[in-house]
Amino acid sequence: MEKLSLPPLRDHCVRVKMLAAPVNPADLNMIQGTYPILLPLPAVGGNEGVGEVMEVGRGVTGFRPGDWVVPTDAGFGTWRTEAVCGADDLIQVPKDISLLSAATIWVNPCTAYRMLHDFQHLQPGSTVIQNGANSAVGQAVIQIAAALGVKTINIIRDRPKREELVQELRRLGADFVITEEELQREGLDRVFQEVPRPKLGLNCIGGISGGLVLSQLNDGATLVTYGGMAKKPLQVPAKSLIFKNITFQGFWMTQWKRQHRKDVRRLNSMLTVLCELVRSGRLTPPKCVQLPFPQYSQALNATLQSHQRKHVLLM
Amino acid sequence: MEVLRAAWLMTRRITVRQQKICRTFATVLSCKQVVHQNIHERYLSRLKLVGITHCRYSSEPQIKNCTALMYRNHGDPSQVVQLETTPLPSVGPQSVLVKMLAAPINPSDINMVQGTYAILPDLPAVGGNEGVGKVVEVGSEVRRLKVGDWVIPKDAGLGTWRTAAVINAEDLIAVPSDIPLLAAATLGVNPCTAFRMLSDFEDLKSGDSVIQNAANSGVGQAVIQITAAKGIHSINVVRDRPDFQQLSDRLKAMGATHVIKEEMLRRPEMKELFKTCARPKLALNGVGGKSATELLRHLQKGGTMVTYGGMAKQPVTVPVSALIFKDVKVQGFWVTQWKKTHSHNEALFRGMLDELCGLIQAGKLSAPACTQVGLSDFQKALDSAMQPYISTKQVFVM
Repeated sequence: MEKLSLPPLRDHCVRVKMLAAPVNPADLNMIQGTYPILLPLPAVGGNEGVGEVMEVGRGVTGFRPGDWVVPTDAGFGTWRTEAVCGADDLIQVPKDISLLSAATIWVNPCTAYRMLHDFQHLQPGSTVIQNGANSAVGQAVIQIAAALGVKTINIIRDRPKREELVQELRRLGADFVITEEELQREGLDRVFQEVPRPKLGLNCIGGISGGLVLSQLNDGATLVTYGGMAKKPLQVPAKSLIFKNITFQGFWMTQWKRQHRKDVRRLNSMLTVLCELVRSGRLTPPKCVQLPFPQYSQALNATLQSHQRKHVLLM
Repeated sequence: MEVLRAAWLMTRRITVRQQKICRTFATVLSCKQVVHQNIHERYLSRLKLVGITHCRYSSEPQIKNCTALMYRNHGDPSQVVQLETTPLPSVGPQSVLVKMLAAPINPSDINMVQGTYAILPDLPAVGGNEGVGKVVEVGSEVRRLKVGDWVIPKDAGLGTWRTAAVINAEDLIAVPSDIPLLAAATLGVNPCTAFRMLSDFEDLKSGDSVIQNAANSGVGQAVIQITAAKGIHSINVVRDRPDFQQLSDRLKAMGATHVIKEEMLRRPEMKELFKTCARPKLALNGVGGKSATELLRHLQKGGTMVTYGGMAKQPVTVPVSALIFKDVKVQGFWVTQWKKTHSHNEALFRGMLDELCGLIQAGKLSAPACTQVGLSDFQKALDSAMQPYISTKQVFVM
């Protein structure tokens, strides 16, 4: 943790006081140098978080002091107490949602939202299957899908307090929760007596787990990969491509935001839908460990481990 | 005798009435010969079976039987495939009698016999899914085909390794009879696969590049020739072999831009290659395993890899970073599925065949190197077809 001086406030700039910023796996990859976006060094860590506008430059019309804002793009450097940035680098979020919701809305829930909308046309009664179901994205998928009337089949790793987690995910709206081991042993025949085979699979693990998701997909389905926690590639049998006609694509929220940077209407409409779900209690942030900013080491170390809750730094 | 003479006259009258059958007019004369050859047996029984309204036009001596390569169980082709004689049904109003001219052995045909293919016919079955035949007789209600037409099956599962068949006219599509026999026999599967993969996944323009493995396969060679005709560069990956140089020369003569060995894909020299042509937007994979992963590595950002085969019998290894950060799409293609999905719209299939036949007629698309064999040499042909590094396609010529 270092002290930095802030640049003077130019006409098109805004001074922001950071309120809260989570630690996401991609943030660590960026520090490790394994992420495709690498910032010129020295750099401030953290890509997501919510701040409050303290002061606006003369030419700024879109923001006022007191507004809550989140950075639109990755690479902002959110693990800091204050920042001065271009007004174009920010997007406003409503203040009538919880601080934790605001701090964790712009990466994971957006990822979940886009994956549920951009790849397959899902209708009420459609089915989605995902691994890493208790990740932040996974939990957002469960909740957004539930709001859409879409059924979710959620794969988790086995763990000591498994039943507790299963109940937690069910409370969020998960239709089916199954461990990898159970899935390998029993398959999903009983589930498919109740819901149709999924048209959409979401994968953030890769390796064998990704293969498990793939094996349950309907013909013509899409498998969207947004993470690779197992650090193993997908093994795709030719049959699933040729005969089952499965499409494999990836999704990268940062890429999407950059491509739609100028489409302010679209960015805002996604945010509006998500915030509305938050307000109506249908989208809650993952259970977080909130730490004061100086305890950042604990947050970083925890994120490197498995089976940890999301850590959020409070400034 | 009177009945028979009446029958002959009837045939002739109907022939004259149907102007389109000008070729058949000539053949009615040979029909006449046939009538005189074996009058009692043939025409009497025919008239009894089908009635006067049901005259057929035949250009060949009556075909009652056919010989076919059949299998009654799935398994090793060298064990389960037998050459058998089987009677032909009579030609119904909507059917045609086809004399098969030539039919290749494709890997998927082998898989079907082995029982490992995604669709399997009812047993006993005749092997072979592709080939060209000549219509020798048409049912009374058939309008879309005429005697003399060359036809290929619209769908898989017909059983083409045979001398003749009675087939519903709707299951066949005509192709020009002035293209080389081997080109017609090998038109419906591989060139169509190549055509669709080059059309349906990425918008390719002259100057763009395509990379593919199994470049000397039936599909591979069609890809080389179709891309060359459209000014699209092709980067063609083959396995190393003693006569690599010969193979490379042959593929380049066909229009291949680059021909490289698998090992080359992992070498820094690829950078030099990409100074001479654009990085590919489209990768075509017929192999799987490491070969496919290497193709992915060289794809442009946002490109697509299409898998149409799995000769290495290994899954495709897809790194997560390729999907997330390079935004590549990994899809498959199955021409049989395409044909089924578009079976209601014959114009699409017709349009594709017209374009391919146009290339054939312009000398820009030719059949792969073939080894022609008779049906009776089927053991040798099937064995050869299952060998690795086989550089010619086995084609039964009847």
